[in-house]
Amino acid sequence: MKAIEIEGLIKEFDGIRAVDGISLEIEYGEIFSLLGPNGAGKTTTISILATLLKPTKGKARVNGYDVVTQAAKVRHSIGIVFQDPSLDDRLTARENLDIHGRLYHMKKDERKKRIEEVLEMVELRERADSLVKTFSGGMRRRLEIARGLMHKPRILFLDEPTLGLDPQTRRHIWNYIEKLRDEGVTVLLTTHYMEEADKLADRVAIIDRGKIVALGSPSELKDSIGGDVIKIKCSNADKMAAILSSNGFNAMIVDNEIIIKAKKAEKEIPRIFSLAKGIEIKSIMYKEPSLEDVFIHYTGKAYREEAGDEMEAIKRRWRMRR
Amino acid sequence: MEDEKMMGDVYAVYLRELIRLWRQKVRLVTTIVMPLLWLGVIGNAFNNAFKMPFKGDFLSFLTPGILVMTMVFTSTISGITTVFDREFGFLKEMLVAPIKRESILIGKMLGGVTQAILQGVIIIILAIIMGVNFKGVAAIPGMLLTMFLVSIAFVSFGLAVASKMTSMEGFQMVMNFLIQPMIFLSGAFYPTKMLPSWLKIGVKLNPLTYGVDAMRYFAIGINEFNVVIDLMVMIVLSIVFILLGGYLFRKS
Ligand SMILES: Nc1ncnc2c1ncn2[C@@H]1O[C@H](COP(=O)(O)OP(=O)(O)O)[C@@H](O)[C@H]1O
Ligand SMILES: [Mg+2]
Repeated sequence: MKAIEIEGLIKEFDGIRAVDGISLEIEYGEIFSLLGPNGAGKTTTISILATLLKPTKGKARVNGYDVVTQAAKVRHSIGIVFQDPSLDDRLTARENLDIHGRLYHMKKDERKKRIEEVLEMVELRERADSLVKTFSGGMRRRLEIARGLMHKPRILFLDEPTLGLDPQTRRHIWNYIEKLRDEGVTVLLTTHYMEEADKLADRVAIIDRGKIVALGSPSELKDSIGGDVIKIKCSNADKMAAILSSNGFNAMIVDNEIIIKAKKAEKEIPRIFSLAKGIEIKSIMYKEPSLEDVFIHYTGKAYREEAGDEMEAIKRRWRMRR
Repeated sequence: MEDEKMMGDVYAVYLRELIRLWRQKVRLVTTIVMPLLWLGVIGNAFNNAFKMPFKGDFLSFLTPGILVMTMVFTSTISGITTVFDREFGFLKEMLVAPIKRESILIGKMLGGVTQAILQGVIIIILAIIMGVNFKGVAAIPGMLLTMFLVSIAFVSFGLAVASKMTSMEGFQMVMNFLIQPMIFLSGAFYPTKMLPSWLKIGVKLNPLTYGVDAMRYFAIGINEFNVVIDLMVMIVLSIVFILLGGYLFRKS
């Protein structure tokens, strides 16, 4: 049995496909990341797995239970940190956790003990009895993670856990997620930050427009695109790309830059210069591939960690605080 | 076993409402200003202005009406606070928990009813201080029962509205075009005998009329209809609104 099994999952909203035939298997104990730009269908997928939405087609099992026919059992098996804030900010941290424990049928002693444990883990013990209203965005996020773990779920869903947080807080939260690995919790993490998936996940599924375009460990994915990435800026990108292609390179134009892959980039660069007859090369650089390059390779388009949406998230948090 | 679990779930939802209520206790007092102005100013002013077509003073006559008005306002508003839960995401936290939707619904309803009845009790105490003559201790159970029925009906009504509504403007519409006319046509502020006959039809069709009548009967012993009929109307109204609220809430 796998922690999560998804088979041909489809979700349509008014005829538009948000999730378009996803199939996946996630092992127990794995940290698995769904990585993709905004609107890729990550939240929709998580909502289906958490029984908040019904799939249009396809099947999904979580902890061995069907998300449609055994929803109650699924809910007992999972913890979730939603993309949008979901704490009651008029309650204290402890009260939020206590109510959560009650909703998951934990006994009084068990709740008391577990509250201390999870608060300890996210370093919020001193603030246990402060109103959530007084917490910063990062503290709220940490408390939400603690709450997701409160009832000791086998599987934890984290939907964009660091969206809109500053880099320092983000690293902080990464530490907690790393700790979960040691505790044997299965984590399904969605993110649109390349770096986050790269750093945390055992395996990554890159998702775009509701479809999985690539799946594997971060290093497998980077290896799969065929070596280093060379980026060239030149006076005539189309012509240069044509020349390179006819000389055995697989050249792609993304954002007016030529991208090619090469096993030994430092040996290919002189050849590129010699091929560029009559075309002025303005800059040329090469690097080991990142997940961003993987995304570009499989979708043929540039990846943007859309700032607009981040502003939205920050605004939302501000509204919460009032 | 299942029932016991459900009780615990309802209590968890209810407990959160109680904590929130406690944190906002200042609001509990500020929302009493309106009914207090009604009693203190209008009640006392008209006390000496008119000869009422019944024995007793106008202030005592007005108090049960103001109680019902307060129940209706507070309950409807607290039903509508589910909108805020939806906006601020706490509803999701409850929806993803391994509990029945009914538990969420009942817990929320009880929260709203508690708030409304607390306000009612404060108003009763203040009314006694102002010299209103209730029927003595015997008045209390009947008044509480009526408060409970009016309150549960309108909390459910608020939930129904909240489930269908996406903005605060919608809330204003409901208050202005439904709740206010219902209160004005319920005989809360004046004896309905004083109305022209075409308006009396509205009064008779208005379910709240019977809530006011029951409250007045229990509080000061004045009534226009049979109190059993009054209570029946309120019970039917409650059940209809609970079912409607429950249905729409589940669907949304
Ligand atoms: N409730 C909904 N009704 C209609 N469209 C929706 C709804 N939820 C999501 N969508 C659409 O589905 C697509 C995927 O959204 P989402 O799963 O939130 O993406 P992500 O989490 O990857 O940013 C988007 O185009 C979004 O507009
Ligand atoms: Mg999302």
